[in-house]
Amino acid sequence: MAPESHSSGSQRAVETLAAKLRRRQVLGSRETALETVLVLRQVVSKARFTNIHQLVEIIRGVGRKLVEAQPKEHTVGNTVRKLLHHVREEYNNASKGTAASAANVFSISKFVLQGQPRKQVTAQKAESALVLREDDPDDPDSFARTLKPVLMEAIQVILDELETVYENISKSAKDHIHSDEIILTIGKSHTVETFLKSAAHYHNFTVIVAESGPSYGGHDMAQSLSSAGVSTFLVPDSSIYALMSRVNKVIIGAHAVLANGGMYAITGSLLAATAARAHSTPVVVCAGQFKLTPLWNLYHEYGALDFADPSSVLGFEEGDLVDKVDVVNPFYDYVRPDLVDVYITNDGDHPPPSIYRIIKESYDDEDNEL
Amino acid sequence: MAPKAAAGKEKLVDDDEEVLQAVILADSFNKRFKPLTADKPRCLLPICNAPLLDWTLESLALAGVQEVFVICRSHADQIKAALQNSKWSRPASGLKIVPILTARETLSPGDAMRDIYTHGIIAGDFVLVYGDLVSNVRIDEVVRVHKARRRTNKDAIMTIVVKEAGTTHRTRSRGESAVFVLDRDTAECLHYEPVSGYPPKTLARIPREVLDEHPDIEIRNDLIDCGIDVCSVEVPSLFQDNFDYADIRRDFVHGVLTSDLLMKNIHCYVAREGYAARVQDTRSYDAISKDILSRWTFPLVPDDNHPGDVAYEHLRGNKYLPKDNSVVLSRTCKVGRNTLIGPASQIFADAQVAASTLGARCTVGARAVVRDSYLGDDVVVGAGCVIENSIVGAGVHVGAGTRIARGALVADGVRLGAGSRLLPFERVSRRRPVKEDGEEDGAEEEESDDDSEIEEAEENQTQLSSLLGPDSDAFVWPRKSGKGGNEDEDELENFNNARLMRLGKFRDDFADLDLSDPGSVTSSSGDSDESSDDDSVIQNFSPSSSTTSLPFAAAAISAGEHAKESEFRSEVRQSLERAFAEGHALDNAAVELKTLRMASNVPLARVREAVVERVVESIALVDGAGPQRVEIKRWVDRWGPLVRLIGGVDGVETVSILQAHCAGSSRLPLFGQILAAFYQNDIVEEDDIRAWHAQPAAKGAGLKEGPQLENMQKTWLVGARMIHQFNEQESSEEESSEAEESGEGSEEAEDASEDEDEDKEDEEDEEDEDDEDDEDGDKE
Repeated sequence: MAPESHSSGSQRAVETLAAKLRRRQVLGSRETALETVLVLRQVVSKARFTNIHQLVEIIRGVGRKLVEAQPKEHTVGNTVRKLLHHVREEYNNASKGTAASAANVFSISKFVLQGQPRKQVTAQKAESALVLREDDPDDPDSFARTLKPVLMEAIQVILDELETVYENISKSAKDHIHSDEIILTIGKSHTVETFLKSAAHYHNFTVIVAESGPSYGGHDMAQSLSSAGVSTFLVPDSSIYALMSRVNKVIIGAHAVLANGGMYAITGSLLAATAARAHSTPVVVCAGQFKLTPLWNLYHEYGALDFADPSSVLGFEEGDLVDKVDVVNPFYDYVRPDLVDVYITNDGDHPPPSIYRIIKESYDDEDNEL
Repeated sequence: MAPKAAAGKEKLVDDDEEVLQAVILADSFNKRFKPLTADKPRCLLPICNAPLLDWTLESLALAGVQEVFVICRSHADQIKAALQNSKWSRPASGLKIVPILTARETLSPGDAMRDIYTHGIIAGDFVLVYGDLVSNVRIDEVVRVHKARRRTNKDAIMTIVVKEAGTTHRTRSRGESAVFVLDRDTAECLHYEPVSGYPPKTLARIPREVLDEHPDIEIRNDLIDCGIDVCSVEVPSLFQDNFDYADIRRDFVHGVLTSDLLMKNIHCYVAREGYAARVQDTRSYDAISKDILSRWTFPLVPDDNHPGDVAYEHLRGNKYLPKDNSVVLSRTCKVGRNTLIGPASQIFADAQVAASTLGARCTVGARAVVRDSYLGDDVVVGAGCVIENSIVGAGVHVGAGTRIARGALVADGVRLGAGSRLLPFERVSRRRPVKEDGEEDGAEEEESDDDSEIEEAEENQTQLSSLLGPDSDAFVWPRKSGKGGNEDEDELENFNNARLMRLGKFRDDFADLDLSDPGSVTSSSGDSDESSDDDSVIQNFSPSSSTTSLPFAAAAISAGEHAKESEFRSEVRQSLERAFAEGHALDNAAVELKTLRMASNVPLARVREAVVERVVESIALVDGAGPQRVEIKRWVDRWGPLVRLIGGVDGVETVSILQAHCAGSSRLPLFGQILAAFYQNDIVEEDDIRAWHAQPAAKGAGLKEGPQLENMQKTWLVGARMIHQFNEQESSEEESSEAEESGEGSEEAEDASEDEDEDKEDEEDEEDEDDEDDEDGDKE
């Protein structure tokens, strides 16, 4: 049976999301991730498959389509990878629940390949009585029938994780921010916003928000924080360096966290991080785990960034200039790993050098290229 | 449309709203892209390696449009095939596309609209665009605004999307633009003045009532007309009613705004965000290509939401290369900024490509230079060629060492032999254009004429204008001369204006060899002249000067308008004579007059003048006071009310007209009696007569000495007597008899030609009054 055999309804859902992604009608990492999970759930629930390879191929196919539609939204690919990881895990649990222990022999190469052994141990506990019959000629649906409920559960887990991601990140907020500190942040990030607000329950501190032109998301951010009772200053981006000597901590959000520990974040983040480095101010990045991306930013530093239209920098009505000036309006900055001190995720705090390990834990290596 | 897809769109559309429809006019109705469009419709021309129509459909899909009607005329089969093969025909695209074929006789957008009406496909408010639109404007937002407005004002029939750009913006057409007069608060379009680049327009006439009724207006000459109209369902039917509307802007918008009978409003939507422009001519093709490459159309950019099938990668300096790594770039070649290179292209050593787009499988030979040019698929550029600011069609083979100067258009499949030289603005297609392909714009005969003419002089031509190398398969099109241009050609399409709309104009740095006609304002010195022209245009459009210059503008009634008016007069005369002779009902006669008036677009006063004149002239001169009175009563009772029915009741003007007419005609003695009859029939009121009488013009002020003045004064005296009688509260019966006596006493009047003169003088000297009169009429 071909992988395309899943129904036209889910096909349409995929196409719709792909079109929305292309047209930038879905914005924001978490939004995108949520939409992707919903589409994947629909695809999996309608899919017909007789063995694990077909299932994986179906999911990968959808993932590939979505990623191609919008390669700049890394969370799409991450969500698909995560689901694939879960699918394999469930499959392994179900099919060779007893045989797994034999495979679980420690060796250095295994350790490097599979990350920490902790995951394997937990996997073993979920031993199930499911009997999987792959490629059963008498009853081709039996495999799908038995596996699907488990898969749905796995998808629900991903969904729950996404829905609670802000709260989980903010849990440790009070340990990172102390009373009477001055925090600098830039632009509008939901993660940072929740983080700061939750810290405000425990401590009194001051937040300086850089407005982050040309999108000026900082305006909303400052509004929201000050209405939540946090003492807030809104400053232009140009004064970040001047203020940095007074700042105790820089807390920023990320668009995507790369495997080398660097990240993509809203324009101006690089400026803030560099200024912080000059003053030896710690830079803390808040990011959900779904933003961890198995990507090394070695070769395509420029093209990997997203370039929006120039109109927010130079108005279209400046007719004379439009023809004579090339305006570049990058949406994200690439912040090198050495500029970041710590990542706070919903899975604990990690220094940039250990990001690759979490990535290895969360995704399977064969999915790095969808 | 499948219910599922409709359900998916529900988020975009309110519950009470129906499917959002769009109409694409997939024909250009002009031939600015000839010869590129010789065997391909304009909407399938690629821009940044995707057909224009795909960009348009993408723009519509972005807005959540669910049903699209594509009106195709020339090369309809190609459009149909392209639609069928495109991704839009897939069920998941969420668009339902219906191609509609129209007759070859559809020569204008207006005809297409009438076609839409007869098809009866429009169910509600719809989006009307051209098949050459590139836009990322949120049209759904415009539709929402339009619908909200419609709920309160049923007469708001159309919303035009315009984009702020500044007068000298590269994307703003210089040959075809417009001045919009907008109400600042409601964005209602109060006046629309089309502007053509040549002859340069320096004055915009704004009707006085606009200033009167709207205290806060904006006069804008910096808007790009995006060609996106959100129309109500009655728009096609208006086109149907007004069979002479051809262009949507020049005729329809102008007609609706100037008509005081339709009472419809048109609004503008000034898009602050987003990009929208039409590829109207080769110049805007260039500008829009550059806009796409410099990402103004984001997210409609090659590396993101490109309507074509190829995925591109964005590199520093707005260079776009296909992601599949199929492009072969030599180590020493130079790829400049704002460049798009199609898949499987090759660029050889030391070649330079800058600010250009290359189609798929192009080859640029060693040391060749391609600058500001647009190459189609499979173009082979030989070693050492120079191509500047030109459009080169698909499959063109450019031999080694060829130079193609700016502004040249090279059609699909041409072979240029080694060492060819194309002069600026040369148009080249394959030898012997196939005749049945001359379908574009239905100008077959014209084209074949061109061919035969040229075949004779072909050798001569090629030597004169362009040097074609050996083994060329190319045919150099004749240049249009400025003087010999067709008189009947549209003002927009005339040679000089078309020059402003073609590619390669804005970078003139040396004499344009083409401009040899002496009468041209833009003499051969090129850009400096050009820009100074533009500047003067801009200055003259500044609000202060345009308002102050109003009287002068009005005074300058062109000969054309005069011709139109006299034509109108004779039409009215015939129509009324028919009505009198055949005894039509009053209403029917009035409708006929209204139609005539709208057709020739004359002010209401002219109609009133004509009607009064006809009624008065129809009254036979009878001997004796009694029979004469009966005769007058018969005519005025029967036809007098027509004066009221034609719209806009203005007694003062009616009396003035009556006076002016009687003073110049043999009916002078009847003036008093007719006036009395008018009064009795309630055509004019007592107050009107008093007001008229108080005017200095009624006494003949401002007239030259002569019989006309005398007669005017006589009639004025008659009026004075009448008013005297009013004052004495006497019965109207007596009044009329007295007036009659006085009328009889006066002698016969001079020839009627005086009438005309007086009109003119009125316009020159008493502009204000004239305007006020108009306005009064309109208000009522």
